[in-house]
Amino acid sequence: MAETAVSTRPDNARRRTRTVRTGTSPAARLLERSWLIAVVFILWWVLSARSTNFFVPSLQEILAVLARDLSSGVIPDGAAYSLTNLAAGLLLAVAVGIVLGLILGEANRLRQVVDPVIHFFRSVPQAALVPLIIGAFGMGQGPKIYTIAFACMWPVLLNTIDGVLGVEPTVRRFAKVYRIPPGLYFRRVVLPAALPQIVAGVRVALPIGITVMVVSELFAATRGLGFYILNSSATFQVPETWAGALFVGVIGYILSVAFVLCERRILRWYIKSGAK
Amino acid sequence: MSLQTAHSPARRATEQLMQVRGLTMSYGSGAAENKILQDLDLDVRAGEFVSIVGPSGVGKTTLLRCLSGLLAPKAGTISVGGQQITGPHPDLAVVFQDYSRSLLPWMSTRENVAFPLQGKGMGKAERNALADRNLAAVGLAGQGDKYPWEMSGGMQQRVAIARALAYNAKVLLMDEPFASVDAQTRFDLEDLVIDLHTNLGVTVILVTHDIDEALYLADKVVVIAEKPATVVDVIETNFGEVRDQVETKADPRFAEARARILHRLRDH
Ligand SMILES: Nc1ncnc2c1ncn2[C@@H]1O[C@H](COP(=O)(O)OP(=O)(O)O)[C@@H](O)[C@H]1O
Ligand SMILES: [Mg+2]
Repeated sequence: MAETAVSTRPDNARRRTRTVRTGTSPAARLLERSWLIAVVFILWWVLSARSTNFFVPSLQEILAVLARDLSSGVIPDGAAYSLTNLAAGLLLAVAVGIVLGLILGEANRLRQVVDPVIHFFRSVPQAALVPLIIGAFGMGQGPKIYTIAFACMWPVLLNTIDGVLGVEPTVRRFAKVYRIPPGLYFRRVVLPAALPQIVAGVRVALPIGITVMVVSELFAATRGLGFYILNSSATFQVPETWAGALFVGVIGYILSVAFVLCERRILRWYIKSGAK
Repeated sequence: MSLQTAHSPARRATEQLMQVRGLTMSYGSGAAENKILQDLDLDVRAGEFVSIVGPSGVGKTTLLRCLSGLLAPKAGTISVGGQQITGPHPDLAVVFQDYSRSLLPWMSTRENVAFPLQGKGMGKAERNALADRNLAAVGLAGQGDKYPWEMSGGMQQRVAIARALAYNAKVLLMDEPFASVDAQTRFDLEDLVIDLHTNLGVTVILVTHDIDEALYLADKVVVIAEKPATVVDVIETNFGEVRDQVETKADPRFAEARARILHRLRDH
């Protein structure tokens, strides 16, 4: 899963945002974007209604279980735990990925030395490392956060390096001639210049983080959404397993929508200047 | 050069400001060495407007990068105010050839102009005020909140010039600054630079491949040619302080100087 295409080019982001913007009325746009999901759910509901397969319960039953465990607090408690891990892991990954990426992007010699190591680590399936990291660092919340951070860092790091390498040579010359001090140079020149690429990297990292969040709770956990899914499936409570997976899917969708909204704010200058 | 400190009037100064001796520059080394500049000398007086003219590919950009401290020459010395320079220097500001790419699109024009002043440690209120004053000086009063990408090429050019002025350097280095705008905008910008030079007393070294532009703007035209490039002629123009796109270019002395430069370039 960590092998998802990492260099999601910011050009794509620009093009997509533009098509989204040139809509008609908001209601029509909402309809356009949500009808397929509605169709899928209706089909699911109808086709599963008479299911006798033990592993494929009816959607009605899944939703009933979901509603029950939501109101009883079982799922909200798990979600609070898991999403805390996700948020902490992602934050750590973004912070470390950006700082390392800025340094490696600017330091050509160092980058050439470190490059093979980066590509080796990012090619290792991150989910396979989960039991090892947890085995090595113990149960608790910390190792889960580190696992998520480790998996999410690679796309952020690689995209940051890419973004730094893409800084206009003229911009670099400008900063040199006008003797912009290093701190200001990183903060106000390199970081904003690389930001479209960095944001694209975080967009790739988000679903990786959600997957690893779930996987990390399949080992040595007593709380969380992943634990909820594993525990129910181990005790053959199939509707609970489905309900947990469905809930994670919805969370993932909401997070990606929220991300696009943030992206549009953060990259306002980029989107506007590109659209012109 | 900043707007509040009036210098002595331009075109009358005689004091030596910049001196280049034996400048030699090449790219690559060993068998792949590509010699660009050979034993180049240049003298610039304070308040002088010097044009450096030469054909495309002769090494004008390379020369300007050496003068601005971006490239270390293979041999020779460059000094400003008697002090030899070894890298970018606070007395030197550059207006780049691809000006639109040297402006930062994530900053407003005011921030773009003020940014190098932040690097100097100037406070926010002061640098913004200075930015606004310099934007006004280049004809962009009240446009500080706009972004570069909301502006035409000519206006972006003016922002780049305002940024160089605000930096308060003694010498303004310009690399074919008007090469990529339409003719009318080009004339407007040429006249703007003449005005800034006359009114602010700033020393300008401008590189161009356009002989008419070089003559129209400068007090002194330095012709470079050959490979590796060297100075083949120096012409002091005497068109006076006030220049006019039509009349100055119709002046017989203008035609004479142009013919002389063309001959020099053809002979080399
Ligand atoms: N970074 C570089 N590395 C190697 N050769 C270069 C480099 N920059 C310019 N050159 C070469 O140097 C010569 C002069 O280039 P330049 O200074 O840009 O000329 P001009 O500005 O007069 O058109 C050209 O032949 C060009 O190919
Ligand atoms: Mg050039």
